[in-house]
Amino acid sequence: MAKLKKQKDYFDSVHIWGRVWSIGALLVLFSLPVAISLHYNAWPEAKFVFEALLKLVPLYWVTSIIEVITFTPMLGAGGAYLSFVTGNITNLKLPCALNAMEQAKVKANSEEGEIISTIAVGASAITTTLIIAVGVILFSPVLDDLRNSETLKPAFAYVSAALFGALGASYLKKHWKISIFPVLVGIIILLIMPTFGVSTLLFVTIVAAVVGALVLSKLKIVK
Amino acid sequence: MFDFQDFKESPLMLTMAAVIIGFVVVESIFFMTKAWKRGKEIGMTTEQLKNTVVSSALFSVAPAISILATVVVLASSLGIVLPWIRLSVVGNLLYETTAAETMLDVLGSNINTEVTEASDFAAIAWVMTTGICFGLLLVTFIGKFIIKKISKATAKSEKSSNIADIISASAFIGIISAFVAQSINGKSSDGSSDAGFMSIMTLVSAIIIYLVFETICQKLKLKKLELFATPLSIFGAMAVAVLLNMWLPETITSFTWWG
Repeated sequence: MAKLKKQKDYFDSVHIWGRVWSIGALLVLFSLPVAISLHYNAWPEAKFVFEALLKLVPLYWVTSIIEVITFTPMLGAGGAYLSFVTGNITNLKLPCALNAMEQAKVKANSEEGEIISTIAVGASAITTTLIIAVGVILFSPVLDDLRNSETLKPAFAYVSAALFGALGASYLKKHWKISIFPVLVGIIILLIMPTFGVSTLLFVTIVAAVVGALVLSKLKIVK
Repeated sequence: MFDFQDFKESPLMLTMAAVIIGFVVVESIFFMTKAWKRGKEIGMTTEQLKNTVVSSALFSVAPAISILATVVVLASSLGIVLPWIRLSVVGNLLYETTAAETMLDVLGSNINTEVTEASDFAAIAWVMTTGICFGLLLVTFIGKFIIKKISKATAKSEKSSNIADIISASAFIGIISAFVAQSINGKSSDGSSDAGFMSIMTLVSAIIIYLVFETICQKLKLKKLELFATPLSIFGAMAVAVLLNMWLPETITSFTWWG
């Protein structure tokens, strides 16, 4: 009983602090355009800003809804609050948390999973922030050369294939029966709509993976 | 290094960068400390927690370099500080590039042209910030509700069977499947990384390097080295991509399904 109460206290405090930090992050986030506009007395024409937002908001706000619904349960409370503040979720924070939980052999919906996911996202955010900061301060002249280097171009062009190949290897090996169907669904969708956004594709392949796994479980093909 | 006379790299911008990036680091440390303490309370070992930090830090190196590359790409137009800030908090590679490109397009410019008007720069900062904040707003106000609903659903399922485990594992697989499919036959918006020979070879190399390294670690009982399997295979696959591009004829390396 006392153990359960402590667990509830921990989760409640993560939610309270998560909200406090997220509201703080929103304030800090908007302080940038406000500071630029105030300092330079440079207030952009509203019609231009709205015109751009009109193109961006429908896509990105719908994607945000999908991301929050899909990723929050996987990242756990602490991991989710941290990820949505530190950004780069699909290409970094989420795979990083999944990798950490897989290595620690804990489940996403357990308290251990919550702990590991939070620590993984935090460590990833700090590492990324440091690398970007050091890169910007020390290596910006060299980075320009790297960017223009024809030799290194393929390394950065296919970083997502390298990342998800590495991450996928252990999952696909362990759960290959469950993996075939969602990969096929993804391929078929991309055959029909090649530029289908990855955030939306994620949603479809997750549903395909879950439904496929439940069917295989019913048929006793996976246990 | 920084041109302080340029409004895009002024002391104001650098101060804002320090504040915003400092905020992210302090928040990360806060939640990590909280999770670490709770982990110890419920009996998790220091080694397990330390391993998570090490493997996650290593895992993040390659993607962080790729984010850094995007900062540099955007820097030619926006200066280096704005992309640096936007990609360190809330932002992501795809969104920030698209948001900047869209605003520049509305202003009659593009990503290859330097922004010289402060009002244009302010407009870009407003658009990048407003477009991306929605996810953060949502998780702030409905994150708790979603987690509670999902926990309840899985708790019920666990009573009767192991369905919760299957759902959890298959959801992870769903994420990986989307990216695997994209590497097999996806098309990028700017055509710079369409799927084809190179993307498939990079994907396959990463999988092979991972499995070979994992097998070696298990055979030689080098369990600790397994932590390096993921970053090693990411960098290994990136190196394979570079080497293939150098060694093979362009007709092969430039092959994509989308011409």
